Amino acid sequence: MKASEVIQLLEGLIEEVKTVGNRRVFATASKERFREVLQRLREKEVRHVSTISGVDRGSHISVVYHFDCRPCLLNLRVDLPKDNPEIRTITDLFPGAEIYERDLMEMLGVKVSEHPDPRRFFLPDDWPEGVYPLRKEVKQP
Amino acid sequence: MTVIVPVGPQHPALKEPENFRFEIRGEEVVDVDIRMGYVHRGIERAMQDRTYLHNVYLSERICGICNVVHTNTYCQAVEAIAGIEIPDRARYIRTILLELERIHSHLLWAGVAAHEIGFDTLFMYFWRDREHVLDIREAVSGGRQLSATNTVGGVRRDIKLEHIPRMLDVLKRLERETRRYLEICSSDPTILSRCEGVGVLTKQDALEVCAVGPTARAAGVDWDVRRDDPYAAYGDLDFRVVIERTGDVLAQILVRLGEVIQSIEIVRQAADRLPSGPIRVDPPTRIEPNEAVARSEAPRGELLYYVVSNGTDKPERVRVRTPTYGNVLTWKRMFKGCTVAEIPIVLASIDPCMACTDRVTLVDVERGRSRVVSLEELRRWKKW
Repeated sequence: MKASEVIQLLEGLIEEVKTVGNRRVFATASKERFREVLQRLREKEVRHVSTISGVDRGSHISVVYHFDCRPCLLNLRVDLPKDNPEIRTITDLFPGAEIYERDLMEMLGVKVSEHPDPRRFFLPDDWPEGVYPLRKEVKQP
Repeated sequence: MTVIVPVGPQHPALKEPENFRFEIRGEEVVDVDIRMGYVHRGIERAMQDRTYLHNVYLSERICGICNVVHTNTYCQAVEAIAGIEIPDRARYIRTILLELERIHSHLLWAGVAAHEIGFDTLFMYFWRDREHVLDIREAVSGGRQLSATNTVGGVRRDIKLEHIPRMLDVLKRLERETRRYLEICSSDPTILSRCEGVGVLTKQDALEVCAVGPTARAAGVDWDVRRDDPYAAYGDLDFRVVIERTGDVLAQILVRLGEVIQSIEIVRQAADRLPSGPIRVDPPTRIEPNEAVARSEAPRGELLYYVVSNGTDKPERVRVRTPTYGNVLTWKRMFKGCTVAEIPIVLASIDPCMACTDRVTLVDVERGRSRVVSLEELRRWKKW
């Protein structure tokens, strides 16, 4: 799908839409509408999640899902409150996101509910609980 | 009754550490559990504390083999957030270096794959030819491996006119040799018996686990970032995306060797059409709050950089998704039904490039359970 087609498909579900060239769309979705976005993308045979990025913005945590709509790349941001950053897994619709969500959990402390395998992936087993390396409050040694 | 066989962190195929726990029934692999992070260097976090220019050199050190594609993608993302257009000559120079990198990376992989199946003569041939490519890389960029050519706003070093005939001459010989290897790999009984039908990834599975690069293309997924989301000078050049259907190790060999031939063609076209003019523009030191995503087709597949700026001279966040990271889940599908003897070649087949530490798996035979022992626990044992 081209950028314009992606925006048309998700009309009403996404906000703050920004198009860069004809192959990049940046947008945000609320936690509540996010599920619907995923379902609409699946219906259009979007299957590739390039990755999931977590960004600590100080007051909140932004989770950015990069969906490859071939050729357009949709970068969908969902903002989560820092005191309770919780979001439902997308692995039931996009199985390829499994490791990206594990990464998000251990590096930024986002709780991904209903994840099939919520163990650590990169961090060692003896890494202290509750210390998330990509959070701003964690200082580099 | 299944048995857990821990493989690694000392890698059975490549000289890199990661940990696999294979669940084996007799000779058959039933399942595999993968652990990584043994050499996790915290580069994403380190990038937040360094300037945009400093990060070019940090991104170059993410991967020793495909460093040009890392700096290229990083620079593309920063150029996008800063709103800079790089000169045409720089786009072409980047393309030439990117394709020379793909050629030597694929030949390196082909050599490793030949070694994994015990065909060391072929391994030597592949690596002999790779040397020639490294020589021309040294001539045009100053470094056999790390080139430090890309920078934000263009390239730091121009390709000299006198280097082009030598480069084309080496590529001509290399094309002849690669065609011979393609013929050998698709007809030699030793190679066929070790690679045909081994470690199969179906197209369905490749799409489901979001496989990237030659691994996905060997399974029949027609997707190449160079063609479908063009960057550098790829939009101006003609080349073919190499696809196979069977998804086995043999298909991966054929895709990569086919790509070497296409890369040679791309370098020829880029050298022929190399525009004249400046090679870089000055980038701003501070970048206003913005975000950008850049993608490239690295030798191992789609490489993605997501960069967020915050108005200072340092990025707010740099997210790097390397191709092997995207391909980890494919192993789980490929290994099912393989035999123990096929583990090394299937492991090597996706051309893994990663990093991993010391860890012990204990298997309680009586209860049939296993657990991983932490470094701390091992230290405590030492005191006993």
